[in-house]
Order: sequence, then C-alpha cells, then structure tokens
Amino acid sequence: MTHQVVRQTLPLLAEEDGRDLYYLPDLPEEDPYAAGHRTCAGCGPAIQYRWVLKAAGQDTVVAGPTGCMYVANSTYLCTPYTVPWAHTPIASGGSFTSGVAAGYEAMIRKGRYPGPYPNILVMAGDGSAADIGIGSISGALYRDHDALFVCYDNECYANTGIQTSPTTPYAGMTTFTPYGKAIPEGKKLPPKNLARMMAEGHPHCYVATTTVGYPVDLINKTRKGLNHVGAAFLHCYTPCQKGWVYQTSMTVELGRRVVESGLWPVWEYDPGERAYRYFHPPVQRPVTDYLAMQGRFGHMLPEHVARTQAGANRNWELIGMDVPQALRDLEDPARHQRLADEEYSMPVNRGIGA
Amino acid sequence: MTSVPVDAGPPRLQRAIRTPEGETFLRGLTGTRVRQNGCAAAAYAALYANVDVITAYPIRPYTAIMMNLAQFVADGILDAEYLHADGEHSQFSAAFGAGSCGARAYTGSSGVGVTYGYEMYSIISGARIPIQMAIADRTLDPPGDFGSEHTDALCTRDMGWLMGWAATPQEVFDKSLLAYAIGEDPRVLLPQMVVQDGYFVSHIAGEVEMPAAAQVDEFLPPYQLPFPLDPRRPVSHGPQIHPEQGPPLQLERARAMEDAIPVIREKTDEFARVFGRRYPHFVESYRLEDADIALVISGGHAVTCRAAVNRMRAQGIKIGMARLLWVRPFPGDDLRGALAGVRAVGVVETNLGLGGASYGGILSLDVTTALYHLDGPRPLVTSFMAGLGGETVPMAEFDWMAGKLGQAVERGRVEKAAHWVGFED
Amino acid sequence: MSVRGTHVPEHLRLPIAGVTPPPTEKEGQRLFPTGNFRFYRPVYRDKTPPCNHACPTGEQIQKYLDHVKHDRYLDGYLTILEDNPMPAVTGRVCYHPCETACNRAVHDEPIGIRGVERFLGDFGLKLADNPVKPALPPLNGQTVAIVGSGPGGLGCAYHLRRKGYASVIFEALDQPGGMLRAGIPAWHLPGEVLDAEIAKLLDLGGIEIRCGVRVGDDPDGVTLGYLRTTYDAVFLALGQDVGRRLDAEGAQARGVIGALEFLRETGLGRPVTVGASVLVIGGGNTASDAARSAIRLGGAGGNQASATIVSLEAEDELLIQPEDLAQARDEGVLFRPRTALVSVLTGEDANVRGAVLAAARLARDENGAVRAQIAAGTEYEVPCDTILVAIGQVQVLDWLPAHYTGHGLVMADESGRVPDEDAAVFAGGDVMRGPSMVVDALGDGKRAARDIDRVLSAEPLRPEDPVEVMPYEKLNPAYFRHAPRIEAPLAPAAERRASQVTEVTLAYSREQAVAEADRCMSCGVCNGCDNCYIVCPDVSVMRDTRQNGHYSIRTHYCKGCLVCVQECPTGALERVPELDFDEPGDVVRMETAFAPYEGAHAEQAPFTRRLIEDAIAEYDRSRSIDPNGPGDTP
Repeated sequence: MTHQVVRQTLPLLAEEDGRDLYYLPDLPEEDPYAAGHRTCAGCGPAIQYRWVLKAAGQDTVVAGPTGCMYVANSTYLCTPYTVPWAHTPIASGGSFTSGVAAGYEAMIRKGRYPGPYPNILVMAGDGSAADIGIGSISGALYRDHDALFVCYDNECYANTGIQTSPTTPYAGMTTFTPYGKAIPEGKKLPPKNLARMMAEGHPHCYVATTTVGYPVDLINKTRKGLNHVGAAFLHCYTPCQKGWVYQTSMTVELGRRVVESGLWPVWEYDPGERAYRYFHPPVQRPVTDYLAMQGRFGHMLPEHVARTQAGANRNWELIGMDVPQALRDLEDPARHQRLADEEYSMPVNRGIGA
Repeated sequence: MTSVPVDAGPPRLQRAIRTPEGETFLRGLTGTRVRQNGCAAAAYAALYANVDVITAYPIRPYTAIMMNLAQFVADGILDAEYLHADGEHSQFSAAFGAGSCGARAYTGSSGVGVTYGYEMYSIISGARIPIQMAIADRTLDPPGDFGSEHTDALCTRDMGWLMGWAATPQEVFDKSLLAYAIGEDPRVLLPQMVVQDGYFVSHIAGEVEMPAAAQVDEFLPPYQLPFPLDPRRPVSHGPQIHPEQGPPLQLERARAMEDAIPVIREKTDEFARVFGRRYPHFVESYRLEDADIALVISGGHAVTCRAAVNRMRAQGIKIGMARLLWVRPFPGDDLRGALAGVRAVGVVETNLGLGGASYGGILSLDVTTALYHLDGPRPLVTSFMAGLGGETVPMAEFDWMAGKLGQAVERGRVEKAAHWVGFED
Repeated sequence: MSVRGTHVPEHLRLPIAGVTPPPTEKEGQRLFPTGNFRFYRPVYRDKTPPCNHACPTGEQIQKYLDHVKHDRYLDGYLTILEDNPMPAVTGRVCYHPCETACNRAVHDEPIGIRGVERFLGDFGLKLADNPVKPALPPLNGQTVAIVGSGPGGLGCAYHLRRKGYASVIFEALDQPGGMLRAGIPAWHLPGEVLDAEIAKLLDLGGIEIRCGVRVGDDPDGVTLGYLRTTYDAVFLALGQDVGRRLDAEGAQARGVIGALEFLRETGLGRPVTVGASVLVIGGGNTASDAARSAIRLGGAGGNQASATIVSLEAEDELLIQPEDLAQARDEGVLFRPRTALVSVLTGEDANVRGAVLAAARLARDENGAVRAQIAAGTEYEVPCDTILVAIGQVQVLDWLPAHYTGHGLVMADESGRVPDEDAAVFAGGDVMRGPSMVVDALGDGKRAARDIDRVLSAEPLRPEDPVEVMPYEKLNPAYFRHAPRIEAPLAPAAERRASQVTEVTLAYSREQAVAEADRCMSCGVCNGCDNCYIVCPDVSVMRDTRQNGHYSIRTHYCKGCLVCVQECPTGALERVPELDFDEPGDVVRMETAFAPYEGAHAEQAPFTRRLIEDAIAEYDRSRSIDPNGPGDTP
C-alpha cells in the first residue's frame, strides 16, 4: 500500500587519471542555471551555482536562502533557474530544505507524487550557513534529511555590501572589520572551520570541501552528496571580486591558489569509514602568493602575514603533507615585508590591470 | 532537457493514502464521542486530515498536540514525516518548505515560541502557502508563565494569516478541519492559526464527536497548491523585487484576505452540511437581540461569559455576548450587525497591547474601528483587561464588567478606555 | 472592503505571490541582457604554435597531435599529408626542430613529436588505400621537371600533383630517394620504408621517376636547356652529395674514402670494404652516421670494428644530433675531439695504415670556411686501416648557368626562384641552402610547388604572411600536469652494432603515442577542451561543436569577466575592449540597473494567473461532479 521511495544515482565524472587537467569530455549537457542573472562579472558563487546545478540536473528542487545568490540571481522578479527554486529567509536554509525533503518523502510514500525522489539542494552563503542559519543546518544534518546542503563561501556577507562573517579570514578587510591605527589587521578573529564542525558534529553525514578551482572535483562531490542517502554538506570556496578586490578574471585561479597555499584544505569525509580523505595539491605555495592577489589583504603587516603562514603550515600538517623548510621559515615575521611590498609568484595574467 | 512548456497545467497531486492501521483506527472512532482535551482534539483533527509533514518543537502548553501526533506516527496510524526541529523558526520554515512542494504541513507553538519564529509569518502568508499552525496560547515572557494570554497569536495579526480562537475541544477539532479547507481553497491560499486557550481549552477535557474519514475526505479535498516546487513543472518562488513591484503584490495579499470572507461563509455552511454541526460564520451572537450592553470576547473564557450572561439576564440585565470566531479576517460587517442597537460595548481583553490607543489590549483597536463605521448610532466602547497571566475570569468579574457598562450607559460616556479588572474598585 | 475599485496598471500586473516562470536554457532570462555590463569581450584567435612555426615544411603538428590524442589516427595522418608526403621517413630521420622549439620543454620535457609522426607514418603505410587519392584533382596537362629524387624533389612532385600538375623526376642514381637512400643509413631509415613511401607517392599518378639519368651539360643527355623548353617549370633539388676532399698529405691512399660515398654505396646496396679500425674525420652528422655504419660493416662484420671520430670541434661543440651522439657512444664509437688530421700514413701496399693527429682548434678563414688551427708540437700517430672523410658537402654546379650559382650554391630569391627571365625555375634543399635537414628540402619542395603554381597561373608571388608564435609564458600552466617525456625505445646497443639493418630507434606503441600526444599543450590553438565553456558564470560560451574547439560567445549575456580568457590553457582566447556595442538586436547599454522596459515583468503575470484559474476551475469541477466521489482524478 505504502509506495516505495525510489532514489536516483548520478554518475561521477572520471577524475583526471594521468591526463592533463583540462579537457572534460563527460560534462553534463544541461545548464539549469541559465544566463541573464545579475551577479557581478566573474562571480565565484555564480560559477559554483552553475556547476552544482549542472551536476544535479533537471530533476532537482533548490532552496535559496537570502544572500547574493538570491538577490543577484533573482532580481526584479526574474529567475535564472529552470528547475523549481524557492527563496528562504537567511536562517532557514537548513529548515526549509528539511521540510522539502520531508514533504517529498511523505508525498511519495502516500502516493501523492509519483517519484523518483528528486535531488534536493540548498545553496546557502557563508553568512547563512556559518552564522545565522548554522543551527538550522545542524538540525537538518542531525535529522539526516536526504538533501545536499551547499555552502558557497565568499568569506563575507557580500550581498549587503561586504561585512564580516564567521568565515572571513584573519586580517580580511570588510566594512565591519576595516583596518586602522587601532586595529591594524582589520579582522582580529580567525574564521570558524565550518566544514569540520559539520563533519565532526554529524558523523553520519557526507561532508566535503571544494573550490571553484577544480570543476571536476566540485561536480563529483555534488553528485556524491546527492547520491548519499541522507544529509550531505558541501563547503565550497567561491571568490567574490567585489569583496576581495581582485581582477574579475582571476576567480578560478584563486580557487587553486587558496588550496596550494594551504589555506583551504580540500577533503572528503566518509561517514561509512568515519575518515577524512585529504587532497594533496601538487604545489605548496607561500601564503603571499595567495594574499597578494587580493586587495582585501593589502593592509597586512609582516606579523600578520607570518601568522597566516603559521596557520597554513598547521593545515599542511593536518592533511598529512610535509611542511617545506622554506615555509616554516616564513612563520617568522622578520622574513616578510608589508604585503603591499612583497614579491610573489604571479599567475599568467591575461586580464586587465594589476 | 529544458523545462516543461509553459502551457502545461499545474501537476496533479493525488489524494494521500492512509495506512491500514490508520484506516482501522479511524473506523473505530467513527460516530463515537471521545472525551479529550483541546490538544488531543487538535492532534485528532490533523490525523483525520492526513497531514503529510509535522514539524514539532516543545513548548508548553501546545506540546501535547505534538506528543499525540508522535504516537500516531510511531504506531503507524498516521503516515507523516515527523520532524523535530531545532527551534520554532526552523519549525515554521520546515513546514513552509513542505507546504511549498505540495505536502500538507502542520505545525504549532505557544508563547515565546510563537514570537521566536516571527520572521516566517509574513513570508509564509505572502508566499500563499496554506500551512496550519496550532497555537495553544500562552503569556509572553518576561518572566516565564505557563498561563494563557492571547498576545502571542494576536501580535502576529498583521502578518496575513487566518486566525481564530476555538472555545472548546470540539471546536478545536472542527476549526482545524475548517481552517485547512478555507486556507487551501485556491481562491484563498492563506496559512491558518487555529488558536485555543492554553490550559483552559488545551488541557481540560470536553466531548468531541468523531466523524467518519469519508466525511473528512468529502469536506477537505486533497491539497493542491497551484504552483508547487515540482520538477515536472518548475517555478521560482519569491524572487527579489523592484520597489515599484511591491504595491501590487501587497494589494494582492490584501485581496486574498478579503476574498477569504465569502469563502469562510461558504465553508462553514458546507461543514454544517457534511458534519451536522453548524457554527456561525464569524460571530456568535448570544442574547444580543435586545441587549443594551454587550461583551465582545474571544476564546475559552466565553464559556464562563455565556453563563454569566445567562445569570445576569435572569436578574433582568439586558446583556449579550458577541464571541469572535475569527479575528483575521476581522469580521467588521458581522460584528456591526451583531451589535447594532447596543448602547455600550465592553471588549474582554486577555491580551496586552502596550502603548496602544486602547490603553490596554489589542482587540478593542479592531472593535472600535469596526464600530466607528457603523451606519447609525455608535455604542460606547471600553475594554476590560481580564484573565491575564492565565488567571481565570470568574463570573463575578463579568458581573463587575457589566456594572461598568451599565454606568457608562447612564452617564452617557465611558469612565475610561481600559479597565484593569480586579485592580479597580 | 478595501480592494473594491482598485486598478493595477497593466505593466504592474504581476504573478501571484511573485511566483515566476522559469527561463529556458536556450534563451536565458531574457529580461536581463547582461551583455551590457561588459567593458571587454573575449574572442577566439588562434596563434601559431612554436612547433608548427619551427617545422620547415609547416606541418600542423599541434593539429595532428590533437588527432592522435583522441585516437583519430587517420585524421592525424591526413593532417601530416597536407604538408609532408612521407611521415614514415621524417618520423625516423628528422632532426625535429619542432621538438627543440616545443614549449613543453619549459614546463617539463618536450613532446616526442617525431615518434608520434613515425607512428602515424607507419599507420599510413599499412592502409589499404591511399587516403589522399580520392581528393586529388585531375591532371591539368602541365608538367614540371624536377632534378633529384631526394626529399626536395619528391616533396615538390607530391605537392604539384595535389594541385593537378604532373612531374618528371630525373634521378642520377639508379634508385630513387636521393640522400634518403644514399646518405642516411638503413639502420636509421630502412630501405623498405623508403620504398613504401615512394610507392605511395607514385601511386597517386602523374609522377614519373627516371633513374640513372644525370642532368648535366652533355648535349646528348638531358640538359637544363632541354628541361626549360620541354617542361612548364623546373625545380632543381640536386642536393649536395659530393664530399669535400681531404687536403692533407697522404690523402690519396687506398682506404681513404669519402664518407658520403661510403654511405651512398652502402645505401644502394653495393658492398663496401671497411677495415676494423676506422678513423672518421669530421664533427657532424655525416661523420656520426659513417662511424656507426663502419662499426657495423667493418672488420668483416661480426661486431669487431672500432671507429673513432676525429673532430676539430670540442665535445660540446660537435654538430651531431644529441640523441645520435648518445646512441653512437652506446655503440662504442670513440671520440677524439679538438684533434686535426695532419697526414695519412700509408703502408707498403699503398693502403692506409695510420694517421698523424694533432691537438687543434676549429678556426675560420677570411671567407668563413673551416680551418684547423693546429697546436704545434702535439702531433702523434695512431694506427688505422680506414679513414672516412666527412668534412663537408658540396655539389657539382658547373653545368648550370653562372648567374644561377654563387658560393657553391644555387642562388634563389626568398621565394626559392632562380633568376631566369624566360622560365619558371626554382630550387630547394641542400643545393640552395647548404647542408640542411631533410625537412628543409621537403619544405622547399612544397613552397616551390605552390609558387610554380602561382607563376603558371599568372599570380604574383608574395612573401609568407607574418605569424604570431605562442610563447610558453602566455599559456596557463596550471592545467598541465608534470609528466616526463616518453622516449622512443632503442634496440639494444649490442644488436645494433651487429647489423646494418636493425633499426636503432623503435616505434612508440599506440599507447605511448597517444600518451605522448596527450602532453601537447596546443599552444595558442583552441582544441575544444571546454574549459572556457565550463568556467563561464553566465553560460555564455556556446559549444557549437564539441570537437576541436568551435565556440561562440553569447554576447547578449557575456559580462566580459574574462575568466574564460584567464583559464584558457592554450591562450587561444583573448580580450578586446568593448566600449561601444555593435551587436544588432536588443543589447542596449542600460543607464541604470533597472529592467530595460516598463512592464517587462508583467509578461510573466498570465503564467500564475492561469495556474490559479485552472486550480479554481478544477476545484469547482471536483465539487460539482460527485460530492461523495474522489476529487482527485489525475
């Protein structure tokens, strides 16, 4: 009598197995995130949104808490989503989605919806996921609703004009953490480790981190999260040109550099094994290579850079990579200049400006 | 694959099936009279309505509703997703989410729980998602007080929900079904607060007549949101608007609330036809035909008030009672009709509207405004702060209120806007 | 009632509760042509990869590597054949200027292009039908005379045939191939392979090779005049197959053999006697080939011979191809760098018995010719029984008009045209350039064919178009992993020494060829990797086809963020400024952030109105049909 809830499994893309890092032959064709949205040029969250929806496909229901990916995407009563999408208040990302997930479970069992169980996603910013909505997401993960909770992390409340959030990095300038004589670093507090909290605190859930530097990784983790029967959490690093002050063309490059400088460990938590699998980047850069590309760090003094390097080095140790002596040495403020004067390894630059 | 073409109609949602245990249980109840309190009555109504998603969070005194429902779910009598939320804001958001995709959602709260989730009220009603919230009302903090006051629900009155008090467990049961039928009607599409006095109704038993499941199915069609979040027919809910687009949407919300009035009448009559219990559409007019003075009241204290009116009538006092069955939409026409000819009206306020023009409670603001538009001589209006904190309102206090109203008629004016019953001579 | 009598203007009649219909992927959200955000626009502009640029015959190396990468071997083969008719040959013998120029060398190690070319060449030889043949135009009735059937002449004949011209190749030796046969040893280029390539060429029809015919000034033979008057054009590809003579005392002794002659006789299959202790004078590739051949053939075979290269050049100055040098060392070739031959010592039988060597330095005289600067007093004797002389190549040119030649070469302008007012005479290869590579000759033959066609079609000759070569610094290296070059396997040295015909360099397997081709970074050329497609936040890179990179930019929505330009691994994408909008249509620069036209959103209103009306109608229907029946028919 009660209908069975049939769930779908999405295939994973082949990881680069010896081939160079481009050429992506298995990309899904669909783009449920259509053009015509009013995000900034080069918006990292928009890139990530597109990849997540591409990975999920058309049989998807999406919840969008208040944030840039609400206001900028759906401005003036428009919508770029070709899949069902609902705005939720900023704190309700986890809870609204819990309702959608519960709704579909009940409707399928009780014969109101033919099934299969759709992909259910919520795309919350860091303000929503790490701050005002953290309780709601934790509740949703704890209750193990079959949905994927994605946090696109642009390390600030960007939509409201760049204010600090709990994931704003140490010394990251925002309008609530400007630098000045009394507070030379601007932001004194180090950020929360949101993804780690979610993994440690809800050990039955699939949790992973990724960045917009690695499209195949992001797409595959999205699919793994959706395939996981139960709650999954994906923390994506998504640069914000407006808040971080960099050339719009560098969004994807930053997505790689943050990992290569040890400031954003990319990992996957397997709830079956209760184990973390860490990605080891092929290059280990000094943090200056990353920080110097962004105007929001331009005020950093040598001691601030050194402290950031120390944090990065602890991350290298955490993920099981050796810390090269050169990077250990850079924990000493005497090795640094003001960030604005530091030399750094620049990427090939095809954009405009410095 | 791109989206389904725009001309395809809304996706059809089938009537939810019940479990065999559920059907057996309801069959056993049919035609019986069960002695149960208001909380149980609400839970039984939700069971009959075959709700799909229940979102629960504990706070006295409504919690018992959710405890009853938890047992139904655990026993397999009700097939619903029972979600114990991480707070009332999440609770209402989850119900909102479920309702948005076509699941019949049920939630509830009391006191500061109601105010904790305040953000969600305008959102849910503006989004036209007809979830139901069962409130067993409770005094707001500070400090903690389990007793009943109506402020928790009343302070959300501007947020666009249908709202009304039930005075007995039977009325709780009936009003829950009625509220779903009205709210889910495609001409209305508004969420509903079905409120009962904490303790006085929620925890005191009364007799509730149980119908057949088929009667409920006849009265309450399957929930059919015209624009659900359904992959077969994608839509976007709630995009950000340009300020110029605000007024038309607000106008539409106002229209929905006004459109609810004829639908409430229609459904109340239909309820009578299907279940055999007839309720007044909006206002219970009790012995108002030739009344000089009248008490306007809402909720469980009306039971005592009715008895007090009877006793005073026996003493020759020409007093009547107008009980509001619905506070939103506020039944101005019906109230004016009920109070025509009355010379002094006292609004019984078991609530607190600090700093308002009434100098006391909330209801008199609406009552006074409604009476201002009377075509004809307007009665004097005052209000009586009674039953605050969950105190009873004994018959003696109604006598006192009647006394004040009588004095007002004699003097031709009210002594003051609000009387604090029990604290004045 | 408050809403009675209200009237909402048309352009503000909005969807119920703001519920908005979705866009389509194809059209996007039409209400926001975000193209008006941009100040820069991405454009696709292929540049020239350094390998293509370095190849003297202009092979589209990047293109065929891309084909191989995707297992499209026939396409790869055909790509080579547009510029080079004999990849099985060049894939074995070319000195690969492409690999020297390859940008991958900066990243990790250069691509093994030659090995992949050989893979494709061998693949082509195995095809049952010549894939070039079906597309050949019919012969146009004109015939070109070609002197020399080396790579220059064969190449020219091939390209001429592809343009519809017949040709007759006059070859002095009794077998075709020029230096390919009579200069390059068989262990480098097996005779069968050369034969097969030549056979494929002849199979095209319209090409005739007349062996044993030396064009010269014998009035009874074939003269230049004859060619000029009998044929529509002439291409001189004589090569430089005459060895410079050793100018030293005793150089006339028996056993002092020109290296080129030695290699020629060997290549033509005629046995040459070489001793067991061979000195090879010279520091270039001919010396190396001769020394290695001598090891194989000398001392009555059986792996007993020794060969020593005596060169004025220091070890690091040797002009031998580095891989050949390494192979030579493995095969036991010995070296005496910075050494000059002073005199040859002769035995009683007038055979070579030794040589006097001395320490020396390479110097040049006032004409730039090589001279030995011998350090006095350093002479010493070494025994040997053969001396192979590999000190330079020249050609016999006295039968050509004086104005054709100069400095020992045929003089030609930048189009390769010889100064001749009355005839179309072109030259190419070693005879025009001095000692050069096989691929130089192939290129000259190709260009000569093109220019002969221009002349005969009364079109002007014109210089090559300038190209922009893509440097490594402009690639995005983040997308290329680090992987070592797969070296082509070599036959074991011991086996090589023992046989004149064992190929030294072996072929890539299919997997190796594909893996090596996969390392190609496609410098400056779009190869359809889809990177731009995937990184665009605005879904504005449209894939028109998925193969080899045809994309278009949807300017209606492209915001000019330039992430695609930045993330293009090959640098094919560039930015151009866009301050005016010249796109036709409704992309208008908006002065404000608001919707482009009043009432734009009201278009969406009927959508939800209809949903509500349908729902109400359905509800009414369900109530009136049967009050006791189910109201939920599907």
